[in-house]
Amino acid sequence: MTIAPVVLSGQAATRRRHKENTRSAGYTALGIVFLALMLFPVYWMINASLQPSGNTLTADIFPFNPSFAGYEKAIADQGGNLITSLLISLGTVVLSLVIAAPAAYALAQFRFRWINIALLAIIISQMIPGIVIANALYAAYNDLGLLNSIPGLILADASHAIPFAILILRAFMIGIPPSIVEAARVDGAGLVRAFISIVVPISRNSLITAGLFAFLFSWSDFLFALTLTTTEDVRPVTLGIYQYLGTQVANWSAVMATAVLSSIPAIVLLILAQKYIAAGATGGAVK
Amino acid sequence: MKKRQLTTLLAIAAITPLALTACSGGGAQTGGDPDTLTILDYYNNEPDKTLIQAALDTCAEELDVTIERETVPGKDLIQKVLQRSSSKTLPDVLMLDNPDLQEIAATGGLAPLSDYDVDTSGFADGILEAATYEDEVYGLAPTVNTLGLFYNETLLAEAGIEPPTTWDELKTAAAALTTGDQYGLAFSAIATYEGSWQFLPFMWTNGGDETDLNTPEVAEALQLWVDLVDSGSASKSVLNWSQADVKDQFVAGNAAMMINGPWQIPGLAETPDVKWGTVQVPVNDESQTPIAPLGGEVWTVPVTGDDEKQAKAASFVECISSDDNQLELATERYTVPTKTELAGEYVEAVPTMEAFTEQVANARSRTGQLGEEWPEAATVIYTAIQLALTGQASVEDAFEQAAAG
Amino acid sequence: MTTTRLTSGPAPASPDGAPRRGTLPGRTRKQQFRRQFSKENITKILFVVPAALYIVLFFGYPVVKNVVMSLQDYTTKTFFTGEAPWVGIQNYVTVITSNLFWPSLTNTALFTIGSILGQFVIGLALAAFFKRRFPLNNFLRSMLLLPWLLPLIVASATWRSILDQDSGILNRFLGTLGLDAIPWLTDPSVALTAVILVNIWVGIPFNVTILYGGLQDIPDELYEAGALDGAIGWKAFRHITWPNLRPVVSVVLLLGVVYTLKVLDIILGLTNGGPANATQTLAIRSYQESFVNFEFGVGAAFSNILILISLLFAIIYLRANRRQVDE
Repeated sequence: MTIAPVVLSGQAATRRRHKENTRSAGYTALGIVFLALMLFPVYWMINASLQPSGNTLTADIFPFNPSFAGYEKAIADQGGNLITSLLISLGTVVLSLVIAAPAAYALAQFRFRWINIALLAIIISQMIPGIVIANALYAAYNDLGLLNSIPGLILADASHAIPFAILILRAFMIGIPPSIVEAARVDGAGLVRAFISIVVPISRNSLITAGLFAFLFSWSDFLFALTLTTTEDVRPVTLGIYQYLGTQVANWSAVMATAVLSSIPAIVLLILAQKYIAAGATGGAVK
Repeated sequence: MKKRQLTTLLAIAAITPLALTACSGGGAQTGGDPDTLTILDYYNNEPDKTLIQAALDTCAEELDVTIERETVPGKDLIQKVLQRSSSKTLPDVLMLDNPDLQEIAATGGLAPLSDYDVDTSGFADGILEAATYEDEVYGLAPTVNTLGLFYNETLLAEAGIEPPTTWDELKTAAAALTTGDQYGLAFSAIATYEGSWQFLPFMWTNGGDETDLNTPEVAEALQLWVDLVDSGSASKSVLNWSQADVKDQFVAGNAAMMINGPWQIPGLAETPDVKWGTVQVPVNDESQTPIAPLGGEVWTVPVTGDDEKQAKAASFVECISSDDNQLELATERYTVPTKTELAGEYVEAVPTMEAFTEQVANARSRTGQLGEEWPEAATVIYTAIQLALTGQASVEDAFEQAAAG
Repeated sequence: MTTTRLTSGPAPASPDGAPRRGTLPGRTRKQQFRRQFSKENITKILFVVPAALYIVLFFGYPVVKNVVMSLQDYTTKTFFTGEAPWVGIQNYVTVITSNLFWPSLTNTALFTIGSILGQFVIGLALAAFFKRRFPLNNFLRSMLLLPWLLPLIVASATWRSILDQDSGILNRFLGTLGLDAIPWLTDPSVALTAVILVNIWVGIPFNVTILYGGLQDIPDELYEAGALDGAIGWKAFRHITWPNLRPVVSVVLLLGVVYTLKVLDIILGLTNGGPANATQTLAIRSYQESFVNFEFGVGAAFSNILILISLLFAIIYLRANRRQVDE
């Protein structure tokens, strides 16, 4: 049901546009304030990374005399690790979504009697402390020769992301009207075909959201990276940071510089991904 | 994005990591090569990593073996050791922090060095004590460290104060040096073994013992700390500072003196404006000798089942602690050689380490008396410190209360 | 006004009104068998099989191992020799009678409730805010995820320096406002609050992103239609947003609780469970018992108790979910 647009006369239209512009600008300003509050600790970390001592004990509120020693070190040491992290994280996203999406849809829309049990199992899997899983995985990986491998780490990281993705995707997919899928089935499409061509595009928002978190889980994982590697062949950046953290001494400027640098490619990817979370993905479908 | 493009992109993204398996390292170590020794240690950060690597390489050359080394962050070493022991993939040479050795030796997972005729004479008593379980020596350490009192020479000179040698002098000096943002003394009273470690010199010097923490001697030591914090000479934040934080405070000029160890010296060199000196830890009564805890790592030979390799590993361990290696490592890492006869030579080479070298001669291992029971005692100590410093328990009751938890 | 949802509830009645059960009247077992295993049903099952396999492989063994370990005297020796004497529920008794059990249980409850409330409310507010269209919306929203990209060790080190009593920037700022310095991490009565606040900070991006996705999925037409009936502002939220958002809200709250109960690194990084055990939680007790005291059986007992508590919430979620779905 649409409302016929009201056409305003010249001056009134300009005035209305100005009002909307100021309001938009107001929201942007407010958004920046919220962001500034939330990200102040991140700013503080950047401040620390630019101090020669690596800490903020002698720091002003603004780094007037930035020292890039930490960054030089980070760039020199961590370039390769960053790529490793990126590969592992992207692989985790793909693997997780491919496995979780059909399962989520099934648990949201199919009539199985054991759905609650399945959900319970999935939820329980999220409760297990990571160290318990890591210990079990080490033994298994050692036997299978999966240590020090990127696919091994992808599989391990996906084990955290998949149950999470199933739960999130299912919550979104519950809202998909079955009439849409049935319409496609009536037209002769198989279940899989209907899933791929109808459900997946409609679930774009949730797929991206779940994918985002799969990326983040994998990117920030330290436990599996530590447990499942024994050499320096495959070293995600989370492990690389520990190069600067000894038992009793720490090179915090290099640590913080690494953290800042490694956030950059990740944040770029996240911004790109978030562009696709748009309103109305389910919208037109109901009609 | 069109569906087909999306699918292709996803397909490519999925295959790429898998395709890179070929490029990534191989799987688990085979360990079958008789002339390769696998090593595990926690010197994962620079400069220690390179320095230790040099020592390991020297020994590898001497014994004509190749080495495969894995380094992990300090707090994760034991976890790795346990994982690898249960999957029967222990390394040939294993480095352990000395207080952990008894715990691991008690499991039967380490081989006694006497089985391989390793010469353990000439080593300082304290470190042998730490490495001995049921009368067998299980590891050797090339260098050790301990605690001492660092002081800011400029600040003390300006205030006309001599570096303190007794607890009373410490309290007066700290009080006199507390002005504005600057505290007189900084130490670590954190809720981890680091806090217990820092407390030991005061406890032991005063005659206290970890076998019975409910004695007046131990209480007096705790009272010293409580007095320092209550009087404002030490910040309340000591409850949350690690030794690295303490050093940061010292270097930033927020503390005129600090209790810390010689491993901080390379870090201190990065701020040449801060002129520092060291003395041994102050004593309560002038008749007492300062006794400080022994820190440092030992190299051990895990039981892997391969007798030939274990023999090679034992020679390797012996080589790491050879005289030359000891002096080399000691000079570079600012730690003290463990062979008592090298002390004189060492102090000549590195005069700033004089106080620490003297201290090491009287140093005591943490596990000497309690062995595997040390972790419990250490937990009681740091809990008691926290209870007393936050005012939740009186000094007399602190240890009792801590032990009850 | 809600969109229709397919239920996973009871099957619809057969033509004569009686609910289906077992064999259907008018069909032979063979026909029903063939129907059950029709290609369609097999395909449906295949949707779930890869995920099921994954979960069983990766989680099945660890769960069982953790339970078994809590019933044994599992120490460092066990890792080497494989021997672990059976002690039955002794570990659980040790756990429950330990002095720190009730304080850490209380702290865990406070920590979880405080964190979830803060994270969710702020997260929902921010998500609703970002639903409006304004320049830089996408960029700002993505930047909110930055805290999640930082390794926890860096985040906790940064917060430790911010919250330092003497030199921390927060107290310096409060000083400019004329307030006294607050001993954030060194006073037992304040430390838990400080840790909760940091955890809220960590959890906001999670809540904002998922709730935002959920808000975006609610069709604009609903709001427009509602506006005609006079439902705008708060009324629109109550009658349009909230009912449609319920599945997403419940999953966010559930996962929030499950993850918060497990939180370890933040608290360890900030206070190590201190000062004087003021920030001890069950998760920290589990970690310390296992990796500091080397009593793995006791540590496993602690973590199993934690899992039981999570299970309680999971069951509440499933109940609420079923009721929702039936509406």
